[in-house]
Amino acid sequence: MKPDLSVSLGPLRVKNPVMSASGTFGYGLEFSPFFDISRLGAIVVKGLSLEPSKGNPPGRIVETASGMLNAIGLQNIGVERFVADVVPRLEDAGATFVANIYGRTPEEYEEVARRVSSVRSLAAIEVNASCPNVKEGGMAFGATPEGVSGLTARVRQSTDKPVWVKLSPNVSDIGTIASAAAGAGADAVSLINTIVGMAVDHRTRRPLLSNVTGGLSGPAIKPIALRMVWEVSRRVSIPVIGIGGIQTAADALEFLLVGASAVQVGTANFRNPMACIEILEGIETFLREERLTGISEYRGTLSP
Amino acid sequence: MPHSSMQFVPGKIVRNEAHGEIFYRLEVSVPEPMEFVPGQFAMISGWPGTDPLLPRPLAIFHSRSVPKGKHTVEFVYKVVGRGTALLSGMHPGDQLAMTMPLGRGFDLGKGGRTYWLVGGGVGFSSVFPAAAALAWRKADFEIFLGSRTRRHLPPKELTPVGSAPGRVHLCTEDGTAGYFGRVTDAVRERIKSLPIASGSKLTILACGPREMLKDLALAAEACGAEMQAALENHMACGFGVCWGCVVALRDGEGTAHRRVCREGPVFDAREVVW
Repeated sequence: MKPDLSVSLGPLRVKNPVMSASGTFGYGLEFSPFFDISRLGAIVVKGLSLEPSKGNPPGRIVETASGMLNAIGLQNIGVERFVADVVPRLEDAGATFVANIYGRTPEEYEEVARRVSSVRSLAAIEVNASCPNVKEGGMAFGATPEGVSGLTARVRQSTDKPVWVKLSPNVSDIGTIASAAAGAGADAVSLINTIVGMAVDHRTRRPLLSNVTGGLSGPAIKPIALRMVWEVSRRVSIPVIGIGGIQTAADALEFLLVGASAVQVGTANFRNPMACIEILEGIETFLREERLTGISEYRGTLSP
Repeated sequence: MPHSSMQFVPGKIVRNEAHGEIFYRLEVSVPEPMEFVPGQFAMISGWPGTDPLLPRPLAIFHSRSVPKGKHTVEFVYKVVGRGTALLSGMHPGDQLAMTMPLGRGFDLGKGGRTYWLVGGGVGFSSVFPAAAALAWRKADFEIFLGSRTRRHLPPKELTPVGSAPGRVHLCTEDGTAGYFGRVTDAVRERIKSLPIASGSKLTILACGPREMLKDLALAAEACGAEMQAALENHMACGFGVCWGCVVALRDGEGTAHRRVCREGPVFDAREVVW
């Protein structure tokens, strides 16, 4: 029997728990040459702002041990072009897609949320309360429970779409932050965004990123992400979407095991454009081999 | 020129051996024939483990397709860091993962022009395929190859067929072979020897260190020649989604960030903010 891969994320039901993480999958269509993008649980598109953004100057990525630092700075085409040019093509492709949004001020978040909400086919809004690479917005709101609560409430009242809040790991108590998002009406939390790090050249004595610091991603951060997802899953009653260093189906299953309802695959897409599909197929194979009827029978079953 | 659309394909190493002192030649068998435009590249990985995590961009050097036979793709690379060091230690029969062909290659136009192909260091691996295409259509071209020293010049057997005597200008910074000096100086001297106004019929296709490309761009502009520069940069994905490899290009009054992997790697040298 084919296992049931569908999962519920609050009001939204998706066909499987494998999604692309924002910033690692473009606007989704870039992956059409590799596979049918409608197969994914959802595509979370690159962070959208009110106006197009040029991002940070070159010197944006550095490879580190089993990971990478990025300081892209949210270069994007802006919400208007996304709605006009990209949405129709995502619809044609039959994709389930989620808009990741950010703003420099709470008002901008609200405005971006309002504009994408006009898209009927949009599955949800993911609020980026955690980008470490822009001076304003992002982490400025994500660092405190009050900031997250205020931002979540604002976006919540400006849209009918499910609202996910993407959390930063660069905080002292992620559980409290997640509770603040849940308390302010978030339908789900997604975590973790990248961990702030830096790399320098000991000979030239210069930083390797133009932004000096960047966000660390890749397998190097998986243990931290897993711990935070485990902690938050026990703390809040809304669904948790696990992100951080997922490369294989086994990695994804570990996040489901500790309580995540779904996962997002990020940096792995760079290394292997088929990563999401291989992970999806691997999860299905695992459920079949374990004779499980579906994800729900496995999720959150970590033994003490 | 036709080229295949980009694919993620498994490959099996046919050979991976040292050529000369610093270069490696990698031949990989692939499931289907792969056509490419000179200047296009592949993202390659396959070493065990996740350190380094990301695939390595390598210019496509050659592709071969035998009816009912084996299809192969060739690369020439230099060990520059941990990734290429690990790659150089892999053996025939080992599996690789490759995404290709990627990016926008050289525009070789239709004819009636003179082409100068300039390769600095391992940059020859990007311009030699262009030379092969030009030789095939009997276009007028010359090749300028620069390196620090004789031992770092491209191996002779890799230099494209159709390079008649006098067409290949070797340059070494230490004078151990050919022109004693930088390849850019050799190009400047060659420009001086041209009849007045013939620069407008000249197209320079170049790949190499950024300083070399910048200097060539100035020389090209001064004599009215076109120049296409193949740029390099660190990149995570190679197919346009990470936005890590951008460079600044002129855009109206200001500048814009363009992806080396997608809008490039070959750019009109006049548009690059050097």
